[in-house]
Formats: sequence, structure tokens, C-alpha cells
Amino acid sequence: MSDFFLWFTRPDNSKLFVLILFFVVYTLIILYVFTNKKRSKRLESYKNIPFEDGDETTPKSKDKEHE
Amino acid sequence: MFKHETVETNAGWLIILTLLAIGVGGLVEIVPLYMIDETVEKVEGVRPYTPLEQRGRDIYIREGCYTCHSQMIRPFRDEMMRYGHYSLAAESQYDHPFQWGSKRTGPDLARLGGKYSNEWHVQHLVAPRSVVPESIMPNYPWLLEDKLDISDISDRMKALKLVGVPYSETKAEFDANVEKFGKDVAEMLDINKATENLIAQAQSGNYDGNKSDITEMDALVAYLQVLGTMVDYSKYDEEYFVNFR
Amino acid sequence: MAETNTQNAAQYNYDIVRKFTIMAIVWAVLGMGVGVWIASELAWPFLNFDLPGLTFGRFRPVHTTLVIFGFGGSALFATSYYVVQRTCQVRLYSDAMAKFTFWGWQIAVGLAAITYMMGYTQGREYAEMTWPIDLLIAVTWVAYFWIYVQTIRRRSQPHIYVANWFYIAFILATALLHIFNNWAAPVNLFSLTSYSFHAGVQDAMTQWWYGHNAVGFFLTAAFLGMMYYFVPKQAGRPVYSYRLSIIHFWALGFMYMWVGTHHLHWTAIPDWTSTLAATFSIMLLMPSWGGMINGIMTLSGAWDKLRTDPIMLFMITALSFYGMSTFEGPLMSLKSVNALSHYTDWTIGHVHSGALGWVALISFGSIYHLLPRLYDTKLYSLRLVYVHFWLATIGIVLYISAMWVAGIGQGLLLRAFDDYGNLAYTFVETVSFLHKPYVVRAIGGMFFVSGVIVMAYNIFMTIRQSKREQAEIEAKLAAKMA
Repeated sequence: MSDFFLWFTRPDNSKLFVLILFFVVYTLIILYVFTNKKRSKRLESYKNIPFEDGDETTPKSKDKEHE
Repeated sequence: MFKHETVETNAGWLIILTLLAIGVGGLVEIVPLYMIDETVEKVEGVRPYTPLEQRGRDIYIREGCYTCHSQMIRPFRDEMMRYGHYSLAAESQYDHPFQWGSKRTGPDLARLGGKYSNEWHVQHLVAPRSVVPESIMPNYPWLLEDKLDISDISDRMKALKLVGVPYSETKAEFDANVEKFGKDVAEMLDINKATENLIAQAQSGNYDGNKSDITEMDALVAYLQVLGTMVDYSKYDEEYFVNFR
Repeated sequence: MAETNTQNAAQYNYDIVRKFTIMAIVWAVLGMGVGVWIASELAWPFLNFDLPGLTFGRFRPVHTTLVIFGFGGSALFATSYYVVQRTCQVRLYSDAMAKFTFWGWQIAVGLAAITYMMGYTQGREYAEMTWPIDLLIAVTWVAYFWIYVQTIRRRSQPHIYVANWFYIAFILATALLHIFNNWAAPVNLFSLTSYSFHAGVQDAMTQWWYGHNAVGFFLTAAFLGMMYYFVPKQAGRPVYSYRLSIIHFWALGFMYMWVGTHHLHWTAIPDWTSTLAATFSIMLLMPSWGGMINGIMTLSGAWDKLRTDPIMLFMITALSFYGMSTFEGPLMSLKSVNALSHYTDWTIGHVHSGALGWVALISFGSIYHLLPRLYDTKLYSLRLVYVHFWLATIGIVLYISAMWVAGIGQGLLLRAFDDYGNLAYTFVETVSFLHKPYVVRAIGGMFFVSGVIVMAYNIFMTIRQSKREQAEIEAKLAAKMA
């Protein structure tokens, strides 16, 4: 058992360790984010936040084509 | 059940988790900083800079030499033929800050010491193109004109001592240096004798070819002449260094 | 028109955004001008003029500081203050503190440039500021963080929009980096000189942990925050995938911190640290490209905007350069490639395809988007925006191709051997080889700076036009009242 813990103390092994850690965490995040249909829909709805600020709908800078 | 919305609606969670995400990498990069102490080669000869060399180093930094010159020879055939033995971690262990550099607009300087005469360095620093016509280095004529400011040399050494360079103030520290570096070197590292040591080295070395004044040129050339000369590589077996890589 | 203006002015603190925007342009002109100057010094060394303050070694940090912290920093302050107000739909917390961050930051940048020319520097790349300036930056940064968090806490919109996550990560990471990298002992209270806490190997690790994450969080994460707000706003459609942005954020924040050591391949650091950095550098390609795809695909179904909207052109080109340089970066972090590219101009070219191509172009696009809203008028000239775009693009292409030739060319010459196994070229022979690429690079830089000057003119005229319109409206009102 102590051998198992010693493995972590060797700096050479840090690469493998963090790679596995990273892989597991991000697989979980990707599964969470993309699997459930309802959750996906809910999450995607937040992307409209920048448009809820009462800003003019047609930006004035794009004058030529809109006027 | 965890929801990503918790993070998105709570500034506190967002900050904590972000710190965690960015902290892991930082930690794993900083923890080795302490382990590296064990991976610095044990070699003889590497010592802190003398007061004059340290002032030269200050000028090296002031003029931004590191923006064009590296001090780190990599273990490649061409670099070792061009510059000499590859650099060891031990060789910059007293460098605050390190000056490994990141760009070679000019050549590497890690083993510049002893390759050229003092006169060559003075001429080259004042007017580089007079000795190397293709050079694109700026001229540094003021180094020869400006007197070296030595008023705060002991403050500088004390600050360096604070960050870990073994300059000595007390008798005990001096004795420890004698033990570690030998009597001659220990004398040079004594903060109490900083000014006289500096003046003596500048006068006996006469780096700028002008005995009457101590100029910035004296200090800079003294520094350039010590670069990479501290370790005697004939004493070591190559295999020994490989163990530390 | 007047109505929306007064309403926005009451609701939001636009004044601080205007101040930072104008300073961003001022620093851009100065910093990039200095860049062209030092590039020319390398091609024609007489330009050093034997003046200490103008020599390459002292002037180069002036260039990097003015551009990264002056231009980039001010653009980030401006856009983050704007975005946080618009997406939280609340006025910025504390006008006085915001003003403090403005002066603190501008004074720090200005003092830094002056002190470098006088020869006061820490000798750490991109962190050359002396210790008193570091302290000023630290205080300013704490105020910035406080304003940002307090504004978010007062938001009337329940959600914190993704752009703000990136800005927060940028503020937090920059604070960490700044504090740990600048740890130093001053010579005495009245001396600007200090000696860094670490030495040699440890110092190198800390410095490049800082150096690379300054790129990662200051020049990337923060500008991604900018992208996540301004690209959708300018396109008039929401970001391509919000879920992708969640993954993008966490992966980018996590991975960037690991890769600093790839600046130290083959040096005296232990091998395993540089392999670790190389591994993460390769993986970093995924979140980087995820972000790029997210930005570019925002325009899917509305590609025709690229033909009619030069501001969109700026943004999409910026994202393309982002994609290119985040591909080039991992490539250069491979130890075999790095053996050739390190210490050469290839690195300089890579930095500039990121800094000019990504950072500067996305900032220009965002500022062009901001300006009419800040001053409640139209842009003075859209045609000049096109002119700016082409000057900038030609400049970047000249710059990076010159640096590829210079860097790869010099790298190959330096490792060439003749038939007898001797070095085929002396170092100075490779310096002569660099002359032509250096000239082309300087010309590329001149193109880019001319573009910025065109932008400055356009902005100046826009503001003047806004003032005139305002005056007219007031005159009419006064007439009515009378």
C-alpha cells in the first residue's frame, strides 16, 4: 500500500497522474454538458443574456445597410 | 445534484472554482521549485560574485543585455562547439535574477569569460562595428565615461544576502564561507570589506585600461570575464552531469 | 437619440469606459511606434544614436510594456467595465474606485516606460517594472477585482454571462502571477533596484510560469471574454454553443498554468518538467480551437455579414489568427521543434501573430463596436475601418513571414556543419543573413502602425461629431424652452 503512495511522490509520475486526473474530470464535464437534452436546452438558453440589456436591436454602426 | 448554474449564479463559487482550476497547475509547477534544490549539480568552484562583478551584473541588467543575449548553452553539438560545455543549473545558483534570456540576436554569453582580452571588450562595447563589422549591437560609449556608483554596494550585498546569497556579515558567516569557498574567496564575500575589495579588484584588474577611475566599464568587463569560468570541467566525468537532467 | 443617451448615462458608468478606450488607442500608437523603432534598430543599428534611453536593450521593454499593459490592459479595463455593466444590467460599483483604477494603471504604465529608459529594471521579461511600480499595480489590481466582484454581486440579471467568467479568471490569475513573480528584496527604501527572491533554476521556472500565463490569461483568457461578448453583439446573434463555452472555460483555465516550462526546453531545468509542459501544450490545442470554433461559428448562417461589415471582418480575422497561433504554439513546444526555434525570431513571429493578429484585431473590432454606443453617434467613417483592416492585415502577414524566414533560416544555419564536421557558419554570418527579413519586418510594422493611426483619426472624428450633434440637440432644446 505504501508503495502505491510513494508512486505519487515521484515527480516523473506527475505527468501520468495529472493526465489521468484531467481526462476523468473533463470526460465528466463533457458528459454533464452534452448528454441530457433538457439540461442542454436550459444551458443554451443563457447565451441570450447579452441581448437582454435593452440595447437597440440594429446596431447603429452598421448604418449603411439598415438605413 | 450539482448544477453548472450554481457556479453561474454565484460569484463566490465562480471565484473559488476558478482559483482551484488555475491553482493546480501553478502548484505543481511551484512544488518542483523546492525539489529542484536536490537536482542542482554538486560542483566545485561556483561562488557568488565579487562586489565589482555584481555591480557589473547590475549594469548588464540595466542595459537590457538579456533582450539579445542568452546565458544558457543547450546540450547540442553545434552549441557546444560554438560556445563550450552546456550550462549547469549550479552555474546560475547565485543569479538573482537569472539571465538565461530567451532570444539570441547576439551570441550566447554563458561562457564568454576569458575568450577575449579586456581591451577587446572595451573596444567592442564602445564601438561594436569597429571589431565586428556585421554586428548590429548598439554602441555603449557612456560605460567608459561614467564613474561606477559604489556608494550603496554594501546595501546591495545585504539585499542579496537576504534573498539567499552567502555574503558574510558576522564572523561565523565568514568562517562558514572560508570552509565552503576557501579563504581568498571568503574575503571577497565579506560585506564589511565590500568597498575596499571592489576598489582593489578594479585597480588590479584594470579592466577598462584606465587606472585612475573606476568606471562602469570596469565592472561590466569584470562580470563578462567571469561568466562561465567558475567550473573546471576537466575535473568531472560527463556521466556525472547526466544524472541531474 | 438623446433620450437613450441620457438613460444609458444614468444607468451605466460609460465615462470610465471612454477614458480607458481613449488611453488604449494612445498607448497603441506609442507602443507600436516604439516597436517599429526597435525593429528598425535591428535592421539599421545607427538608429540607437548612442543615446542610452533609445538603445535596443532599454527600449524593447518600453515596447512590450506599452503594448501589453498600456494598450492591452486599457482595452481590457474598458471592455470589461462595459461588458460587466451590460450583462449584469447594473451600474459599475463605485465611480471613485473606478477612477482610481484608471489613474493607477495609467501612471504605472507611464512610469514604467520612463524608468526603463533611465535604466531602472528588474531584468525579468514582461515584468521589468521596479518594485514601487509593482506595488502600485498590486493596489490598482485589488481595486479592480473589488469593483468587478461588487458589480457582479449587484447584478439584476440572475446569471453571470460567460464573458465575465473569462474576465474574472484573468483578474485572479494576473494577481497570482504578479505577486509571486515580483517577490524581491529592494536594495534600500530609496533605491529602485531590487533582487529577486529566487535564483537560477527556480527563478527561471517562476519567471516563465509568469511569462507564459501572462500570455494565457492576460492576452488570451481576457480577450476571449471580449470575444464572447462583442462577437455575438456585432453579429446580432448569440454565441454558437453555450455548452462549448463551459468546457472551453474550464479546460483553458486549468491547462494554461502547466505550460510555462516549454520556454525552458533543453535548459538546466530537470527534463520531466519540460516534458510535462510539452504534453499540456499539445492538449491546450483542444480548448483553444474549441474557443475559436465557438467564435467563428457564431456567424454561421450570416456569413454575408463579412462582406458588409468591416468590424465583423476584424473579429473573424482575429479568431483565425488565434487559431493559427494556437496551432503554431503547441508545434513550437515540441522539444524537437523547439531545439531549432528557441532563441530565434520564429518565437518573435509567433508572439506577434498572436499579439497583432489576435489581441490587437479583436480589440480594434470591439472598440469600433463600442465607440458609437459610448458616444451615441455613428462611426465617422466605415471606409476608414476597411482601410485600417487592410493595413493591419498586410502588416501582420509581412511581419510573420519575415520572422519565419529569419527564425527557421537562422536556426538551420546555426546547426549546419561542413564536410569535416566543423560549424559551417559563424554566429555573425547568421546576423548578416537576418538583415533582409529585419527590413521586411520593420516595413510590416509600419503598415500596422499606420492602420492604428487611421483608427485614431477615425475615433477622434467620431468623438468630435458626437460633440457637435450633442451641441445641436442642446441648442434645439434651448430654442424650444425659449
